[in-house]
Amino acid sequence: MSDTVRIDGVQLEVAPGTTILEAAKLAGRWVPTLCFDERQAPFGACRVCMVGVEGSANPLPACTTVCRDGMNVSTEDPTARRVAGAVVELVLSELPAAPAPHTELAQVAQRLQVGAELRWPGAVHAVDHDLEHPYLAFQHELCISCGRCVRACDEVQGAFALTAVGRGFDANVAAGLDGGFLHSSCVSCGACADTCPTDAITEQLLLVGGNGNSAVAAGV
Amino acid sequence: MSRNLVELIRRHDGIAAPTALDLLKESVAARGELTEEDLQRTAAVTGLPEATVYGISTFYDDLRAPRGERHVRVCTGTACFAATGGSHVQALSEGLGLDLGSVRDDGSVSLAETVCLGFCHSSPAVFDGEVIVAGPGAVAQVLSDSPTPAPQPQWHSLLPEPVLTRPGDWSGLRRALSELDPQQLLELVVSAEIRGRGGAGFPAGVKWRFVRAAAGDEKYVVANGDEGDPGSYIDKYLMEQNPELVLEGMALAGLAVGAAHGFILVRSEYPESKPSLDAAIERARQAGFLGERILGSDFSFEITVVEGAGSYVVGEETALLACLEGLRGTVSARPPFPAERGLYGRPTVVNNVETLANVPFIAARGAEAYQALSPNSASSGSKLVCFNERFNQPTVVEVPFGMSVRELCENVAGGLRDGGRIKAVQIGGPLGGILPAARLDTAFDFDALAAEGCMVGHGSILAFDELTDMRALAVHLLRFGAHESCGKCFPCRIGLRRAHDMFAADAPVDRARFEQLLETLELGSLCAHGSGMPAPLRSLLRHFPQELSLA
Repeated sequence: MSDTVRIDGVQLEVAPGTTILEAAKLAGRWVPTLCFDERQAPFGACRVCMVGVEGSANPLPACTTVCRDGMNVSTEDPTARRVAGAVVELVLSELPAAPAPHTELAQVAQRLQVGAELRWPGAVHAVDHDLEHPYLAFQHELCISCGRCVRACDEVQGAFALTAVGRGFDANVAAGLDGGFLHSSCVSCGACADTCPTDAITEQLLLVGGNGNSAVAAGV
Repeated sequence: MSRNLVELIRRHDGIAAPTALDLLKESVAARGELTEEDLQRTAAVTGLPEATVYGISTFYDDLRAPRGERHVRVCTGTACFAATGGSHVQALSEGLGLDLGSVRDDGSVSLAETVCLGFCHSSPAVFDGEVIVAGPGAVAQVLSDSPTPAPQPQWHSLLPEPVLTRPGDWSGLRRALSELDPQQLLELVVSAEIRGRGGAGFPAGVKWRFVRAAAGDEKYVVANGDEGDPGSYIDKYLMEQNPELVLEGMALAGLAVGAAHGFILVRSEYPESKPSLDAAIERARQAGFLGERILGSDFSFEITVVEGAGSYVVGEETALLACLEGLRGTVSARPPFPAERGLYGRPTVVNNVETLANVPFIAARGAEAYQALSPNSASSGSKLVCFNERFNQPTVVEVPFGMSVRELCENVAGGLRDGGRIKAVQIGGPLGGILPAARLDTAFDFDALAAEGCMVGHGSILAFDELTDMRALAVHLLRFGAHESCGKCFPCRIGLRRAHDMFAADAPVDRARFEQLLETLELGSLCAHGSGMPAPLRSLLRHFPQELSLA
């Protein structure tokens, strides 16, 4: 049994339960994402994966919307792209410095052509670094609360060393009882650094080696 | 929410064991703050990771605000704003010599804000230690250290035969157990076409059908008593003055969907609600309406009352379930819906307290009698509405749908006090649109209000008089929105803060940019908090643009 869906005119058969995002990948179509990591359950937080669906008045998030038989999806629906671009713009506006060009955030912003001008500038996250751990560095001001590190630690590694903290604009991520990686149940697996889309969590070596773009390397 | 954590909780403890949130609340109550030892002990007792416990401790207002020996919480809800324009907060802060969220050096007094205490009939309200004081003299009472408990609101019904203001007598459950099978009861609720009273207006019977059809023997009923909508004290009335009706509705839901356990989440801002419900549960157990083999039938049903810890978004159903599990009260993407995977991963029906209070009548009298309650409207059943302190008769009133908002404001609530005139009313809570005085002839029902960009929501009717500064109201609403954002989805987390800052700045607001931001919130947000907060702002832009200092 399978469902037939059309993604940007490409017709394909998908297994029941397949999400629009998975179907789009099968169809070879790009959908922007920030909180998605295929090793983790869909989270639905970033709202950047918006797509147009025929019959739906408003765009829908591709990562948490399951395909229905006969669904007709447009990944480049103008409204969906406008919302996605605005959200990425908001995310860029909360960082004290532009994300390094190699990061997922910078690449999504570039592809959506967002960031040259920010319509809603304002408060940014305070610089706060945890550099105590021998391998892992955490630059909290670059955290966009996508939850990928927390879920990697939970769903992939099972170490549960990380948590979302605070709420609203002040949301962030902490290790252990906020004592940093070194004083938490972290097993130094690096799954968090591997999945982080902004380099908020990264390997110490990369910072010391200096990728030239991080706040730490810049001596902030 | 994390499936691993939920499984961890279930494997470690039975559902009766205190949650991490319960333990953290106890620690704060005992010592006024959380220490590292408190967090470690909570992790050890619950079996949860330390980081998870720390995350919970940073989410809820009740755990975050520092407490002195005397903890004073001032209400910054919208009814209190309508009453004073916010001057009561400043007066209290100056009088105590404390900023919001601070504690005196000697630890004697602390001041925090809270939204809202449900004393919207008598604003402003202050929770001083264990006592809620309210009304024009509230601040003076607190400052003179002579707090007197404020009187509770009155209530009455416009219906010839009250439904929601009639004391619960378990007649619906009696009939259901003696004359109906669970499937028949379910179909009765479906055909009564009762729509959810907590804001979203989803048909309750349809929800029940999903839960009944869901696989698994273990299912739950959850009553949402987290009436966080500023201006609303309807669920508070039901839980405190008519708890039997709510419990009976929960038992009927359990019977219809095949659940043996129900939970009610009540707000910590309503200190009387949990004791009232607990006492009613005990009376019902004694009388054989709750417990094992109810009234000699095969049906058994238990109810547990859980108190929250200060978070508006916990009123959203997935966040509510996370709070009941003792975790951070953040929203989860659906699917899976609670009907399929809800409390502790089990199929769960989540209904608002007032929705459930309608069910006993439906069970006792049938769907037709229920639909006939509002002859002049397509919406079925009756509705509790409540009025804020600006009105001459600020009470809870049971009304049929279909009356005009003007009739409700002028005839039922007696117009504004001191000869004041209505500038606008906000209906249904902070996510509801604002109706200007010129549109008061709009009918009070689901469809007519929706056509005006408004909603029935919780049923609160909150009047602003002619002195109200509409730009200050915009700042007030957006401050609430930003403060209460759970922080999960990006548009709400960042967008509400930006929207607030645009209006709070001492400069004209760029209307085009602001409306682009509203669209992002409306179309992008994960839950009704982010997508709904633009509604009253849209109303203000539409009806009061000249008062907002727009560019």
